[in-house]
Amino acid sequence: MIRVAIVDDHPALRAGLRTILEAEPGMAFAGESSGEPESLWPLLHRACPDVVLLDYHLPRGDGLQLCYRIKREVPSPRVILFSAYAGAALALPAALAGADGLLPKGVDARELFEAVRLAHAGERLIPPVSRTVLAEACADMEPPDQALVGMLLDGASEAEAARTLDLDAPAVRRTVQRVLGQLRVEVPAPRA
Amino acid sequence: MLYLAGRTAATALSAVLIAWGGLRWPDAALFLYGPLSTALLAASPSLRRVPVVWALDSLIVLALILAFGDWRSPFYLLWLATLALPAVSMRLSAALWLGLGASVTYLLVALIGGPVPGRLQLLSAETLAIHLSLPFLLVASLAYAADALRRLAVERARRERLAIEAERRRIAWELHDSAKQRLHAAHLLVSSLRGRVPAAQEPVLERATVELVSAASDLDTSLAELRSPLEGRPLEEALRARAAELTPGDGPWISVHGHAPALPPLVAAHVYRVGCEAITNALRHADAQEIDVSIAGDARALRLRVRDDGRGLPAERRPGASGLLAMRSRAETIGGTLAIGPGPGGRGTDLQLHVPLDHPGGLQ
Repeated sequence: MIRVAIVDDHPALRAGLRTILEAEPGMAFAGESSGEPESLWPLLHRACPDVVLLDYHLPRGDGLQLCYRIKREVPSPRVILFSAYAGAALALPAALAGADGLLPKGVDARELFEAVRLAHAGERLIPPVSRTVLAEACADMEPPDQALVGMLLDGASEAEAARTLDLDAPAVRRTVQRVLGQLRVEVPAPRA
Repeated sequence: MLYLAGRTAATALSAVLIAWGGLRWPDAALFLYGPLSTALLAASPSLRRVPVVWALDSLIVLALILAFGDWRSPFYLLWLATLALPAVSMRLSAALWLGLGASVTYLLVALIGGPVPGRLQLLSAETLAIHLSLPFLLVASLAYAADALRRLAVERARRERLAIEAERRRIAWELHDSAKQRLHAAHLLVSSLRGRVPAAQEPVLERATVELVSAASDLDTSLAELRSPLEGRPLEEALRARAAELTPGDGPWISVHGHAPALPPLVAAHVYRVGCEAITNALRHADAQEIDVSIAGDARALRLRVRDDGRGLPAERRPGASGLLAMRSRAETIGGTLAIGPGPGGRGTDLQLHVPLDHPGGLQ
């Protein structure tokens, strides 16, 4: 039984996901959150889901930063970024944030279940980072950041990268968070 | 309208003055020139915009005043009326100089055109003062009013545009935030039933899924249209307007030429934004002095080319150059290809966007 938690700020989508998860054999609904810290962290700590479906665009906070934080603080669940903008440009930040999958909203239920099963089985479902995207993204970074990002994308752990580059762990974390902020994919929003 | 009424009134008043003072030969010219020029200017709005016509009009009346041989000519009012057009059409500062010039010109006319040429006929100092100050006061007040009206119109247009943009953005956001999410949810719900209904009902489910996917894609198109910065204008016009916004005054020279074929809104919006980004890069990072934007295309493909004479792409990429990434991602979204390289002879930058239009594959 794979227990799935849903983090999305749209109630209709949460309800839809919950319904199909409850109806699907082999899956269970582990809880939901609109992405607010007050409901999100208790959900992750108490329900201990196997897989988290995480919306990329949340009204409070950035799905990427949240993904990175979840993977650091609650390492057990697999995290699938679920986004309307799951294009080539999002593959790099998703990989850097430690996501286990990247899935466009608009997939059908079967693809979603398949992704959840594969992610639960330990597969990483992130499209390969295209060379163009990588080159363009590196153009935005300072050379020391490039080295760190390169190592992390190649699969090195943060500790390994910190040792190799002679950095301390908080410095690595800050760099990743800063780079994730730079790599945000533009989302059209109403002007405040 | 007001202007023509003023002109007619000036002619009529002059006629009354003539009737008062007795008809002399140059006065006949007033009856000919006054109504005739007024009718001509009334008939042709394009004529009213030509500065040469303003100058001719004004000079002819001045010549008639000189021929009249007295600066207190009945033509004076008509001459004042000839100053109104330039006063409301020119920029405020230029119009003030024009008013000053008109007053000085009339002083000269009074000097050389008096009953005894070369001697100022100070019959009445007050009358002369009025004759001399009136052109300046008239032109200055008209120009001031016209300038205020122009600024008001610009400001109002800007506010209207901002209000419309904000409203469109709000609607787009609502559609995206609720309708689109509900569609995703419905799609997930319906598609989860596949393989779980009797085989005979399977095509129904299949059809429902297709419809939901199509609805989501229709919604995307509408959203792109709502967020489209083109607002119904053709691509070249929108780019030209953007270029004018980016280079106010006598900054770098941007020329936009060519015509875009009819484009799906999503394509038009993305091509427009690529064009804007290219122009901004050329201005901001390459210090270009001349930017050439050309648009060409037919029903099968669209080509956008932006060339500049600036520094070109740096060998080492600047930090923060997310513009190129964004342009590439836009090109991908509409199934196009983007090529960026040095311009002819290695100078400047040459950006080419090619978007095939005859297959819908890029629009999914």
